[in-house]
Amino acid sequence: MVAADRTVPLTPRPTLARPADQILHPWAWWAWALGVAIAVNLTTNPLFLVLVGLALLAVILLRRSDAPWARSISAYFWLAGVVIGVRMFFRILVGGGFGETVLFTLPEIPLPDWAQGIRLGGDVTLEGILYTLYDSLRLVVMLVAVAAANALANPRRALRAVPAALHDISVSVVIALSVAPQLVESAFRVRTARRLRGGRARGLDAVKAYLVPILADAVDRSVSLAASMEARGFGRTRTTSRRRTWTNALLLVSSMVATLGGFLLLSSSGDPGPVAFGCLGAGALGVVAGLRASRDKIAVTRYRPDPWGIQEWTVTVSGLLVLAIVLALGNESVWALFGATLDPDVLNPSFMPATWPSLHPALVVAAALTALPILVTRAPGRTPPATRRGDAAATGRTGIADPGARRPDEELVTS
Amino acid sequence: MSRMLVAPAPRGGLVRLTWMSRVTLVLTAVAGLAAFAWPLIIPPTWDLPATQAPLVFAVVLPFVLAVVLSELGSSGMDAKSLAMLGVMTAVGAALRPLGAGTAGLELVFFPMIVAGRVFGPGFGFAMGNLSLFASAILTGGVGPWLPYQMVASGFVGFFAGLLPPAGRRWELVLLGAYGALASFAYGWLMDFAFWPFGVGSHTQFSFDPAAGALENIHTFVLYNIATSMGWNLGRAVTTVLMIAVMGGPLLSILRRSVRKAHFVPATG
Repeated sequence: MVAADRTVPLTPRPTLARPADQILHPWAWWAWALGVAIAVNLTTNPLFLVLVGLALLAVILLRRSDAPWARSISAYFWLAGVVIGVRMFFRILVGGGFGETVLFTLPEIPLPDWAQGIRLGGDVTLEGILYTLYDSLRLVVMLVAVAAANALANPRRALRAVPAALHDISVSVVIALSVAPQLVESAFRVRTARRLRGGRARGLDAVKAYLVPILADAVDRSVSLAASMEARGFGRTRTTSRRRTWTNALLLVSSMVATLGGFLLLSSSGDPGPVAFGCLGAGALGVVAGLRASRDKIAVTRYRPDPWGIQEWTVTVSGLLVLAIVLALGNESVWALFGATLDPDVLNPSFMPATWPSLHPALVVAAALTALPILVTRAPGRTPPATRRGDAAATGRTGIADPGARRPDEELVTS
Repeated sequence: MSRMLVAPAPRGGLVRLTWMSRVTLVLTAVAGLAAFAWPLIIPPTWDLPATQAPLVFAVVLPFVLAVVLSELGSSGMDAKSLAMLGVMTAVGAALRPLGAGTAGLELVFFPMIVAGRVFGPGFGFAMGNLSLFASAILTGGVGPWLPYQMVASGFVGFFAGLLPPAGRRWELVLLGAYGALASFAYGWLMDFAFWPFGVGSHTQFSFDPAAGALENIHTFVLYNIATSMGWNLGRAVTTVLMIAVMGGPLLSILRRSVRKAHFVPATG
């Protein structure tokens, strides 16, 4: 069903020059967003956090397409609001007096013995409120960074660019992503059929009467899909499905090392030190290398791979530079390089006593770098409203006017 | 029929477990346990804010998951299992947004548990993983919580595949009991790992590295009862209800497909 349905005509498009409406490689967006997200996590400077948040918002609003996943950002803002709200609620209700500047006092309510140690109400301090605000702001901006990656990167194209060793699994996910909307269509069909037959089930029986045919339909679909995949020679390109022993060993050892790195990072007291980070990095590199090494065993060709050019590099590097600046500001030897001593207030302004935070010039640069993708990328071509509703001919002619309109079965055709 | 014992899965399951995938699964379990139980690992002198801790394993877990999924995919699946995995994942992913957020109405566990039962632990693990992944992609919900959800739901499907054989009637009771248990375990683990995310630090309900493990567990239990007991209970009730009503039909649909498509354990 998925692989056989070809309504969109394949038209050749220029491969050398990047078309004006070509979108950025999805992994570039992810690298940029993750760099910013990690950087944001290392600081509680509210001025910097607000600046970065605004920069992220600008990039999202100017560069997102009208694809379904790009409309999800409101959910992240909702989540961000909940995070601040819940934390403020807990701070005020069970803050347990921390700091000296008392803003107001709530009546205390004693709790039964089994909840000993917990005290409801009491003094609400400025320091406590500030601490909660700074800390939640950091989490909120991190959520916005993740939301940016979700809104800007096309997940289907990101799946196409996974290492060949994950090809089978990504085929499964692609099948899932294409079948999920078909289930809705299947539900409508079942409803029509039930109405024609005059079905009158109520309550739990109705659930059964709807879901059983939908599920049976889905399972039948999988059987016919498998038949059509096998008829087209899916998975016949591999010589033997076994990986080489050393690749297996590399994958195993490096995932163990990465786990150990995470464990060390969490269990070391004080400064985690280079060993933990070394383990994490080596493990990650080893896994990537191992997955890439299994490529020659699993011969998979890519259909029109997304290019990785200067734009992608710029976006990726801008995200990593933000991270580098924040890391440098927290490092004593970097400060010594400029003949100064580490000022902890730059990244984590003191809230005890409460002072107005200052903004180091390097942080302004970092916030500006966050917004750099606006300069090097172009706004995605939006589909005119008339053609938005599944007009395959119109979107097919221009190639990728609407990234969401690309046939999701491309990946299936390749193997 | 009622006296016949129903074998949990066709011989070996739909996804063949090689020794390599067994080792990687054990490794995933170890990494997952460390990830979920970090508040017990952290020493009193940990100097980073507690909100950073869940992010450490949010970075590590994707690599571990990539290894185990690549092994499950490349060594143990043919086109039939792959298509079935894709379609069942779609069922889970499509059911999830229906209930997400409304008082713990969580429908995603039900297909996962039944499919794990019929198609074996390897399939259950992959399906649990991918259901959450696909639904996150569909709804744009990718975040630091996703690797945790994937590991936890993967093992929900995995252990469903390891449940002992049972007669027709008892099978549903078994699956329902397992569903309730799994729903609570999933909720507690997720809440535990993302505890400082929810409350922040330095409140009386917060994780305190300076206090011992027991003290922290006590605080967590109080916090959990106060905040998310309703969610966990809602999830358990929905799962049990779905298994009671739909479990029988779905079991027969999937078992019929096993006969129809003639699934045999994939051979390397």
